[in-house]
Amino acid sequence: MEIPYTVKPRPDTGLYNAKLGIWLFLASEVMLFGALFSSYVLLRVGAEPGTWSMGLMDLYVGAGNTMVLIASSMFVVLAWAELKQGNLAGPWMSPRSWGYKNWKWLTIACAVLFLCVKWGYEWPSKFKHYDVWLNNATVLHEKFNNGYDEVASHGGGVEEHIEGIYTKRFFKESSEGLGGSKDEFKKAWDAGTLALSGHINAYEEAQIDVRITGWKADAGVSEADADKALAKQGSEDAAGLRLNGGLLPEKTDYDTAKRAEYALGQAGFTVALSVADYKTVKAHPWMWRTKRVTEDIGGKPRVRSIVFGLDDSHHKGIITLDVGDIKRLSAYEPKHSTFFGIYYTITGLHAAHVFAGILIMLYNMLPIGLAMWHKDREQFTNRIETFGLFWHFVDLVWIFLFPILYIL
Amino acid sequence: MSDSHDSPDFINDLVRLFYMVGGVLVVGTIITFAIDLAFSLPLVWAAVIGLTIALVKASFVVAIFMHYKWDKKLIMITWTMVITFFFFAGMMGLIMWADGDAPSLARTEVPAKWVVLASLLGVALPASFTFLTVKMLSQPAPVEAAVPKPRRASKKRIN
Repeated sequence: MEIPYTVKPRPDTGLYNAKLGIWLFLASEVMLFGALFSSYVLLRVGAEPGTWSMGLMDLYVGAGNTMVLIASSMFVVLAWAELKQGNLAGPWMSPRSWGYKNWKWLTIACAVLFLCVKWGYEWPSKFKHYDVWLNNATVLHEKFNNGYDEVASHGGGVEEHIEGIYTKRFFKESSEGLGGSKDEFKKAWDAGTLALSGHINAYEEAQIDVRITGWKADAGVSEADADKALAKQGSEDAAGLRLNGGLLPEKTDYDTAKRAEYALGQAGFTVALSVADYKTVKAHPWMWRTKRVTEDIGGKPRVRSIVFGLDDSHHKGIITLDVGDIKRLSAYEPKHSTFFGIYYTITGLHAAHVFAGILIMLYNMLPIGLAMWHKDREQFTNRIETFGLFWHFVDLVWIFLFPILYIL
Repeated sequence: MSDSHDSPDFINDLVRLFYMVGGVLVVGTIITFAIDLAFSLPLVWAAVIGLTIALVKASFVVAIFMHYKWDKKLIMITWTMVITFFFFAGMMGLIMWADGDAPSLARTEVPAKWVVLASLLGVALPASFTFLTVKMLSQPAPVEAAVPKPRRASKKRIN
């Protein structure tokens, strides 16, 4: 079936059909994003003071990405203008005669750069930064009194220094009134509900002993199979272990221990895990949650302590926190807070639109998409125009996202 | 873009305009960025200034990049735009209206009539959108008034 009005405007609407279609689609998109914007504003306005952690947004990166998207929006309309003049491609060396393909490649490059910054830098750097809430503020006082050297070199008290970080993180500097942020800080400091933000530089992780405490002959596993399961875990005297119990394996890491526990359980053994020792690991772990750190292994936590580099001075402002003092630990992932929930929802939906745009642009650059150009130039030009409308809309959404997420 | 505008001269003018709009967008971003860096504005002012600049930028994108300036005679797009704008403004407005969070609907701050009006608005906007769309599309073709007269003379394929 021939689709009517792909080139000529339909008499009653005055538009070719695809254009009417894309405008209606964009209208529905306005409602989708509009609802999310409204939600953001609602949550922002209703947030308790000191809970909206937008101070973690990097304004420079946000403004840079805005520029990239603006450039791409301009390139895509230039690509269409070249098509309108019948100019499919020009030599790269002379920008004045660039055609559709040249501008379109630049658009794709900008879109890819935008996603690289978002998915390769902005998001991951949030996944390895943490907030830590402590059970008891007095611990904090002690920690800072012995072992937080940074403060001494800066002058001023511990509290002032932490307050600086706190204010920058939760308050738009003086926007909510310095008195307001001071009061909020004092309240949180005294109540111990203050969240320290920074990243984990190192941690002491459990070395786990796996001990076999018995074997149930009536579990439906034959002796030979049980011994085979033991041998798989590296036992040299399987039969002896099965009869008398014993250690297997020794001082292993968490994952190995858990796997052994499961496999041996399947083979009818009862197994006990216990922490033999703690080993210091230097790493910047991603997306840890409280449960992972405090998980109980034979009465001891999986991680004994973490070396925490405070924001603002990652490598010098370092304190060591016992996990027993930690009430909650969370990376800046969606689960962290309302702010990050809506942040990832909106930027994620927008990034998905950018990603879809890249796919469509690539299609229109490949022979399969370009076939239409050779069949009907006007129809192809119209197709590129409708894509352009979509792309400008994606740019529009970002134009509003930038001030809302990075400035408000 | 309607078909009446594809002469080479017009396209050349258009390209110049595209570059100018690109400049406006860049300048707008820089201003937003600079204001935020230079002044610590209260939240309300940051919102007013940031969103006003965003609105100006958006208007340029819609008018020039999306050719709305030349397409506004086309009533379908205009209605789509106007109605979605009201829908969006309604959503934002209703939210900003709220006095605060109350555990039940029986809060005293907001008179019941606003809640009723809000619900009506929520129904009326999508309904009017649907109604207008159906009405537009069910008009008998051709409707001369809705179609800008194409300049037949310049309407040839350009290679």
